Amino acid sequence: MRVLIQLRSSHQVRAALAANEPVPAAATAAEALMSAGLVLDQSFEPVELPSPRLDAEDDGRVLAMAAPLDFSEPATTVVRGVIPDDEGAQAVLAAAGANPAVLGVFADPVVERCLTCIGDPPVGTHKDVARLLGVGKLTSAGLTGQGVHLAIVDSGINVAHLRDRDQAAKLDAAKSWTPRGVSSGPGRHMVDHGTMCAFDAGIAAPKATFLDHAVLLSQQGGPTPMAGLLSDAVRSYAKLRTVLDAMPASRRALVVSNSWGMFDPAWDFPVGHPGNYSNNPRHPFNVIVASLEAAGADILFAAGNCGRDCEDGRCNFRRRPICGANSHGRVLSVAGIDTKRKRVGYSSQGPGRLAAAKPDLATYTHFKGSEVYAPDPDGGTSAACPVLAGVVAAVRTKYRANRLPPASLRSLLCKTADDLGRMGFDHDHGWGTVDTTALLAALARVPVARGGGSRRRPS
Amino acid sequence: MVAPMGTVMMTVELEPGAADLPHAAERLGVDLQVLDAEFGLVPIDPDQHLYTVLAEEEAVAGADARPGVSGPFSDPPIRPFGPPER
Repeated sequence: MRVLIQLRSSHQVRAALAANEPVPAAATAAEALMSAGLVLDQSFEPVELPSPRLDAEDDGRVLAMAAPLDFSEPATTVVRGVIPDDEGAQAVLAAAGANPAVLGVFADPVVERCLTCIGDPPVGTHKDVARLLGVGKLTSAGLTGQGVHLAIVDSGINVAHLRDRDQAAKLDAAKSWTPRGVSSGPGRHMVDHGTMCAFDAGIAAPKATFLDHAVLLSQQGGPTPMAGLLSDAVRSYAKLRTVLDAMPASRRALVVSNSWGMFDPAWDFPVGHPGNYSNNPRHPFNVIVASLEAAGADILFAAGNCGRDCEDGRCNFRRRPICGANSHGRVLSVAGIDTKRKRVGYSSQGPGRLAAAKPDLATYTHFKGSEVYAPDPDGGTSAACPVLAGVVAAVRTKYRANRLPPASLRSLLCKTADDLGRMGFDHDHGWGTVDTTALLAALARVPVARGGGSRRRPS
Repeated sequence: MVAPMGTVMMTVELEPGAADLPHAAERLGVDLQVLDAEFGLVPIDPDQHLYTVLAEEEAVAGADARPGVSGPFSDPPIRPFGPPER
């Protein structure tokens, strides 16, 4: 095993380090351990460390971390090496214990970055995501998204690309919305972010009907190709309200996936200003989100990519980046995990600005899927959000909003979630990730409509 | 702070049957041409008879003092959350 050995330093060692010259093993007490089996790593330049200082008031058991570092006598030197794994290790440790010049032998475990970050290759594929989501169980339960409208509020969908990737990709053009001045139509937009989102939503809801709301193609949003204004989203949501209101109450099923948001507080009125968006439930967009949800829509927002470990370079929020509708109490705010069920480092952390307990749930991202950005993955919480939207759409196949209102479905998803991170809710993962088995068991207790009436679904 | 492009949203409460752009302009106390006709009058909470309009910020300054009016509200740019950029 690899070890680090802390030794009392010597004038020879300090002189060699000061001169930036190799430190001979003979100059360290490590030589005394080599005959016992230590193989010194000559490529590792010894590191000089201050001696640990002990706090006299706690019987010397606790290091006094507040004490200033002191490199004067008796400073120590750390070297690296390998000792045998089995009985041989005991010989080295015994030799170390008998040598007053050896202060300690410590494990030197392999360390690696724990979190998937921007620029990392894909972690798994959409097939892994389907397996982890339990899509087979959903399908067996008849939950495929059939008859459910799934709005992708984004940069537009390219249906041909989705069909090339073996998705059915049904689309209702009449219920879609395209901003003024855009020449391409619903389902025929350039292959980009919105197509990725649609693909990822289709993993769990292959038979859902897409509504293509190409808000981010707005010509109003400035110099970047994919940008809109929040007022474009207001128009889109007003259209979605007409779609929802036209559905008979017993058949209402509209899921709205939003993988976008605001990166910079400078784009907004300041917090405290009555016209502010980020923190203000009275802002028109936050009002229309609430009213659409109250009418029966399931609304999901990506939590954002401003995670503290490796945030998107465009993030300009110094704290609480989950803001505006992305933090609304009537939506599901979706964090990102990879297919190893670890939070991706860029996934924004709560608390949220409108509702503190954000994000709500975490689902999969950073996988090889739509290949819209190949060889880069379907990434960002942009991918996680539609993945969960697909699950919600699948549930809505049988459990319509009149029987299971959006708030109840959100609650069910959170209560049955597979806990991640710290026990219970946390601001990295919310309540955890979807546990399809537990979700299906809970859904079995929800009354479903049959032939105009309702009864409890047999378990 | 100046809203992007000088355009803001205003919220107006309008009676059923009077939910159109001219009535919104009247409620705001501004000329009709001040409002963005292409954006129109957008219902944001039909149950509460609440609508929103787009207007130049300067043109609607002080309109929030009138009954049934609130704003101006920001109209910030929005961007996709992916793929993440370094």
